[in-house]
Amino acid sequence: MKTQSKFVEISHLVKEYPNPYGDDFRVIEDFNLNIKKGEFISLIGHSGCGKSTVLTMLAGLNEISDGGIIVGDKEIDGPGPDRSVVFQAPCLMPWMSAYGNVMLGVKNIYPHATKAQQKQIVEHALSVVGLADSMKKYPSEMSGGMQQRVGIARAIALQPKVLLLDEPFGRLDSLTRMELQDVIVDIIAKEQLTAMIVTHDVDEAVFMADRCVMMSNGPKASVGEILEIDFDRPRDREKIFKDSQFFAYREHLLAFLEQRSHIKDKARIFSDKSTLGFMSEQELHDFQVKLGVPPQPAQGH
Amino acid sequence: MKILSSIKYPLLKAIDISGLTFLSPVVRLCYGEEPSVQLKKIGQWIIIPVAAMLLFIFAWNAGSGLIKTKAGTLPTPGETADALGSINTFADREDLKKEAYNLTGEERLAALAVAEAQLASITPKVQETTDAVAQAKSEHEKSIAVVVEPLEKNYDELKEKFSQAQDKRKQELESVSETLVIGDKASYTKFLDLVKANESQTDAEKTELSSLKAAISDARNDKSKKVALALSMQTKVAEEKQFLEKQIEQLTKRNRSIMVESAETNISTTTEELYQLTGADAYKKARSIAKDESRLEKTIESKYAQPATLWYQVRRSILCVFTGFIIGAGIAIPIGILCGLNSTFMAAMTPFIAIFKPVSPIVWLPIALIIVGGFIPDPENNAVIQWLWKAPLIDIYKINPAFIASAITVALCSLWATLANTALGVASIDKDHMNVARVLKLGFWSRLFKIVIPSALPLIFAGLRISLGVGWMVLIAAELLSSSEGIGKFVWDQFNNGASDSFAKMMVVVFVVGFVGLILDRIMIVFQRLVSFEGSKAAI
Repeated sequence: MKTQSKFVEISHLVKEYPNPYGDDFRVIEDFNLNIKKGEFISLIGHSGCGKSTVLTMLAGLNEISDGGIIVGDKEIDGPGPDRSVVFQAPCLMPWMSAYGNVMLGVKNIYPHATKAQQKQIVEHALSVVGLADSMKKYPSEMSGGMQQRVGIARAIALQPKVLLLDEPFGRLDSLTRMELQDVIVDIIAKEQLTAMIVTHDVDEAVFMADRCVMMSNGPKASVGEILEIDFDRPRDREKIFKDSQFFAYREHLLAFLEQRSHIKDKARIFSDKSTLGFMSEQELHDFQVKLGVPPQPAQGH
Repeated sequence: MKILSSIKYPLLKAIDISGLTFLSPVVRLCYGEEPSVQLKKIGQWIIIPVAAMLLFIFAWNAGSGLIKTKAGTLPTPGETADALGSINTFADREDLKKEAYNLTGEERLAALAVAEAQLASITPKVQETTDAVAQAKSEHEKSIAVVVEPLEKNYDELKEKFSQAQDKRKQELESVSETLVIGDKASYTKFLDLVKANESQTDAEKTELSSLKAAISDARNDKSKKVALALSMQTKVAEEKQFLEKQIEQLTKRNRSIMVESAETNISTTTEELYQLTGADAYKKARSIAKDESRLEKTIESKYAQPATLWYQVRRSILCVFTGFIIGAGIAIPIGILCGLNSTFMAAMTPFIAIFKPVSPIVWLPIALIIVGGFIPDPENNAVIQWLWKAPLIDIYKINPAFIASAITVALCSLWATLANTALGVASIDKDHMNVARVLKLGFWSRLFKIVIPSALPLIFAGLRISLGVGWMVLIAAELLSSSEGIGKFVWDQFNNGASDSFAKMMVVVFVVGFVGLILDRIMIVFQRLVSFEGSKAAI
């Protein structure tokens, strides 16, 4: 039996895509992270750095090139209901009602439960996300926020070991976003779920998580820095947003992100021959000038 | 008022779903919603199309006289409407005859009295119309003679004059030929020129004569509208008289109850006679009684042998197109789903789809006829066909091998649109939906029925809609070739019939086929909209 501190174990994770003009394109390299049971991780970084790639690999939707992921004693192999995902788009079946969408998974995960039990699970999940009165509605009759609530209900109804949130509020307005953040925070506190959220909203990352994982820029992204967020659960938005510690965390994250977006990083990317290997030396130089990247002396790799 | 305002939006929604969107400004106008906007829309979507139709009918009316062929002139809209009327009259009369055949007792006698009164009133009209025709003809002949006689006189004079002139020229040339000297080439050339000039002169005279002759024959053939009218009146009256006589026959000696009655009396008298006989005579009598009895049974069960009316043929064609359509969909949807799910299967099917898709119904039909004929050599002794002839609702359509072959042809020609659209719908399923299915670990069947098919359904129905349209077009051609009772056969019969209104009846069929096709398309649109969801690819 593994210790509680290693409920999810991501070790030496690599993701590479074939590159017809050179070596394989490594998006993620040597990504290591252990997640405790009941812990909430937020994954933050610049867009395109591979946050979502890590999450989809953990979900099993994206193939792992190298390294491994262990969830509660078992190495993962493909997707499964033990790691349910809330996608950026709600991804509801438009031909099913809210109830039908949640039932779709429940029926499959609890095939031996009686009809009444299945119904109870679905109704519970929907009422937890505040849709007790809208179960019979179809996606076309619901707002984006309500649709995403159904998406969350569908994920938690499976009673997963790990709940994965892939920029779940990216397409919502800020008011709805806050409402749904509270919904998730309440559920996590109540059901003691282990969870990971991918976001590029710093406030969201600090408010929701126990630990913020800051990713270095891609390609070859990995864990840059980890920030422990020391707030009590259940979390109270008003209290936290007035806490000076909150701003300290926030500043820390912003400093990290700003530093990463510094021009030196750009220079590193655009002088890296493995990514731009299809260009000649002269072309590369011209390209860098065009982008305003100070030309660097040629470097080996 | 409350009810009125509460049905406004359901009504508009129904109009939208049925695709009759041109009605929605009318409804909105009735509710007083932005009258100027609605009037503008009504102008655009109702008044302009109607005006265009009227313009078309006007142009048709004006242009139809210009298209003259040996078989007749292109019918005008009026003649086409008349042809529709005569098609309807025929259908109504056939229904009356059928009714007459089945009537019994008091009702039969009442109907008989009515028919006889009608016949009595129409009989004098027959003579009247015949006289009218004779009069119109003689008048017309007189008016023709006035034109033709001077022309003929002119022709005879010219002919005489030309032949004399020709003889004279011939003699002159012959005398010139006597003066020719061998070796004097110049004189020969001159002579040759003279002969050539003579030939062209003769040709010109011939042309003049023949054009005059054509003018005479045109004048002779000039059709009088009066005569045509008198003839059509005569035909109408004669047809009505014939119908009434036939109806009276169906009410009397060809009436089923009468035939049954007389057969029963006959049997009872022969039975009485049988009781008086022995030996070979008795055997003979008994046999004839047995025969009569079996004949009586058949008479009791018999139905009036109604000839096919256009409306019966339309209904049979619709039944046939749906039979073919369902066969086609039954083949296309499963194969389309497999193609969409599995690219290997798709690769295997591609050559078949590519080769069979462009094949014409004209090619499929004979093949289908041979194959169906091979399975059903004798419909009278085939259990399935016999069952179909007795099945409720479809028994009157007498489903035969030609019907089945036509339906198979429809299926083979129409399934491709459904197949392609189904494959596309299944293959282009939203990747997010598939990811959800993977996370939920749905099995193959629940993935298929809960996600793949519902999401492909709008495209499948778009394909079915195209298929039904193609099938309807193909069916008319198939029926024409296979002589399967239907609209196509009606056209073929009219083509071979060559009656004065055959051409106009074919024009009626153009509109009937178009109208039925439109209705079928509308039905499919309604289905397509019912299965569409927001954001679905085929939603219109």
